[in-house]
Amino acid sequence: MAGRMKVDTAAIRSRHPHYFGPPARDRQVLMLAGAAAVILLVAAMAELGFFGAKLIGGIDKLGDIAVLMMPPSPGDWAHVRLYLLSLMETIAISFLGTLLAAVIALPIALLAARNVTVQRVLRFFTRRSLDIIRSVDILIWALIWINVVGLGPFAGVLAIMTSDIGNFGKLFSEAIEAVDRKPREGIVASGGGAVLGIRFGILPEVFPVLASQVLYFFESNTRSATIIGIVGAGGIGLHLAEAIRTLELQQVSFIILLILVAVAAIDVVSNQLRFALIGRRARLA
Amino acid sequence: MLRLDGVVKKFGDKRAVDGISLVVPKGQMVGVIGQSGSGKSTLLRMINRLNDPSEGRIFFEGADVTRLTGRELRQWRARCAMIFQQFNLAGRLDVLTNVMMGRAFHAPLWRALLKLWTHDEKAMGLSALEGLDMARLSGQRADTLSGGQQQRVAIARALIQEPEIILADEPIASLDPRNTQVVMDALQHINRHFGITVMCNLHSLDLARKYCDRLVGLAAGRLVFDDVPAALTDSVARDLYGLESGEVLGPESRPDLVPAPGLAIAN
Amino acid sequence: MASPVVHLPEAQLRPLLASYDAAVRSRRFHSLLVMACIVAAIGLSSVSAEVDLAKFFGNLGNFTSYIWRLFHLDNGAWVWADPVEWYWGAARWLRLLGETLLMAYVGTALGAIGAFFLAFLAAANVAPRPWLRLLVRRFCELCRTVPQLVFALMFVIAFGLGPLAGVLAMAIHTLGALGKLFAEVVENIDMKPVEGVSATGAHWTAAMRYGALPQTLSNFVSYSLLRFEINVREAAVMGFVGAGGIGMDLIEAIRKFYYSDVSAILLMIVVTVAVIDTLTSMARHRLIGMEERH
Repeated sequence: MAGRMKVDTAAIRSRHPHYFGPPARDRQVLMLAGAAAVILLVAAMAELGFFGAKLIGGIDKLGDIAVLMMPPSPGDWAHVRLYLLSLMETIAISFLGTLLAAVIALPIALLAARNVTVQRVLRFFTRRSLDIIRSVDILIWALIWINVVGLGPFAGVLAIMTSDIGNFGKLFSEAIEAVDRKPREGIVASGGGAVLGIRFGILPEVFPVLASQVLYFFESNTRSATIIGIVGAGGIGLHLAEAIRTLELQQVSFIILLILVAVAAIDVVSNQLRFALIGRRARLA
Repeated sequence: MLRLDGVVKKFGDKRAVDGISLVVPKGQMVGVIGQSGSGKSTLLRMINRLNDPSEGRIFFEGADVTRLTGRELRQWRARCAMIFQQFNLAGRLDVLTNVMMGRAFHAPLWRALLKLWTHDEKAMGLSALEGLDMARLSGQRADTLSGGQQQRVAIARALIQEPEIILADEPIASLDPRNTQVVMDALQHINRHFGITVMCNLHSLDLARKYCDRLVGLAAGRLVFDDVPAALTDSVARDLYGLESGEVLGPESRPDLVPAPGLAIAN
Repeated sequence: MASPVVHLPEAQLRPLLASYDAAVRSRRFHSLLVMACIVAAIGLSSVSAEVDLAKFFGNLGNFTSYIWRLFHLDNGAWVWADPVEWYWGAARWLRLLGETLLMAYVGTALGAIGAFFLAFLAAANVAPRPWLRLLVRRFCELCRTVPQLVFALMFVIAFGLGPLAGVLAMAIHTLGALGKLFAEVVENIDMKPVEGVSATGAHWTAAMRYGALPQTLSNFVSYSLLRFEINVREAAVMGFVGAGGIGMDLIEAIRKFYYSDVSAILLMIVVTVAVIDTLTSMARHRLIGMEERH
């Protein structure tokens, strides 16, 4: 066994000044940014009340709440019925909202797609409008629609619809832009107009992609639909918020459990359908 | 009669087609030859107006087709059928629906949108398919067919346009030898029996010599050969296809088509 | 000119037509069946969701007049005619908007830090203990499936009204969402460097630090930035349940029909979200560019 390797530090240092000298500019910038981020984080936490008795007391209370939530229980059968009905309402809201949004978003997406709408200004405004719709949260849309059609699930449907028009408009237009241009060219070259080109050259090709996106959103919208009830737009959220407010904690955990099961079930179903859609295409490709 | 008059197509700084003038009488079968990138495809696409010429005009039976818009443009496209290298069918639609796109200009829009073809229209589509031995596959989705079958569907689509001219852009480049013959025979048959003008981009000189009445050679977007197939000697052919390696000289510096020795052999 | 299509005699045509029609009919039947299912579902859902088209179209005027009123001051003038009056609460709203951004920042940062540690425990290729991995996965799933606002509602009870509850709710949800994504990033790394470090006899922590971490860091940051974008939007509505941020003033303005205030606050939110989106996507592209240079 050789002894400890002799290291001529000075020689190494002179040969690789890069490792010993001041760090490269890139690294410096990154480190500065990191330090700034940490300082900002600590300052923000102080500002938001992280370092006070509130946090400790709250965690203590949260422990109590968690204990009181167990075991989940609906209270009585009347509540089970009520919760199941409003769960169905939640799913109905999500379904209708998603479907309506998809139907309305399709023509808008065509306006926003580069390969369909040549008119630059029109396309620009369509895209900006979609951006604005997407930057407003679904709960805000729910409140606005409540002002129009009153409290209840219908406002929830319209809220999910509005919010998803923004999402679908963007996703659909990207799918349309990615479509193979050859089928449409074949139709245009035989004397078909723009409408026929879209109907036979684009829509059949993008349909499975769009349907799969719609199914995916159906699942995530069911989750959204559970919370719009908190502001009065129907669904199970209303009962959840009510149970939390009145500290019926066992019912709270029961409702949450119910939601989790429903979302998981829809997830499975929509995944199966998506697989069927895309799988069929893959087989024939 | 189709007449091209100084047609130029620029893509940015590049002149893909650089001042081509050409007269194609009715009923001729013209082979357009040249290397890839020589402008053959762009030339055909301009005649159908899938690309608009940057300069120059194209006339058919005396009418300027470069000026057409809207319905008149679509009518011109219906008269001037196009066949593509990649068939350009809608893969998820069935064969007959793809063929019926050839009636897209003639049928009213609402009927076309709903696929409500009349008995006569369907009979026409099926007859065209049967002529190409494809009618029994009319209900299948187009993307389940082989390349050769798809190209035959595309030809059926072109036929029911009842066109006066057919433009075929490398129709056999994606096909095996057997289907190559089927497709080229079909084009020749259409040309011989119905007097329809055919302009066909071809990569293979042998096929061009075998099937066409007249050959047009393009190089770097310019017309460098225009004669009967017999005139296409080996040295001319080598020159045509060796041009790319000798491009440094530029077409201007070559006063005629006499191949510069040692230059054309580079291919 | 003669048509190039030679018409088949009717006798020969008939079987061809019939076989085509049969093929189309079976496909059409299939799509009709799907359509019927969808229509039935629409019917059932419409009953359940109390869809009332008469009310909708009857009140649709309300929607346009609502939008119209959003952009008018109490005195009937367009809002932009008097920006000072429109933004009379600018100082307060800007403070709340700042608070909203801080909430999103802290919520994202805390969630990302937590997810960072959990990811290495949850990734199939590097997890030190299988049972721990399963536990962490389930925990992340729970955190991201329960809606953020539900956490917020409960935290408001525990921590009292204010941004603290909102931030914690957001951090938990972010933890769940990023924990899953980060774990996937770790699962996709090249294992050779990790094995190299492990082979020197280094502890698991060291193998992660020098073998795995360098490959994952830029993806982690990129996902966190995307999550930050989402959280800015979410933070804006935390106030709806009393969990801090500009949502408190927004819901009050909507509920009490202070129209011009609603449009003023909404505009602030939309602009902020747009600016944040642009900045984060710039930062992400910089990050990717830096990765490629190295």
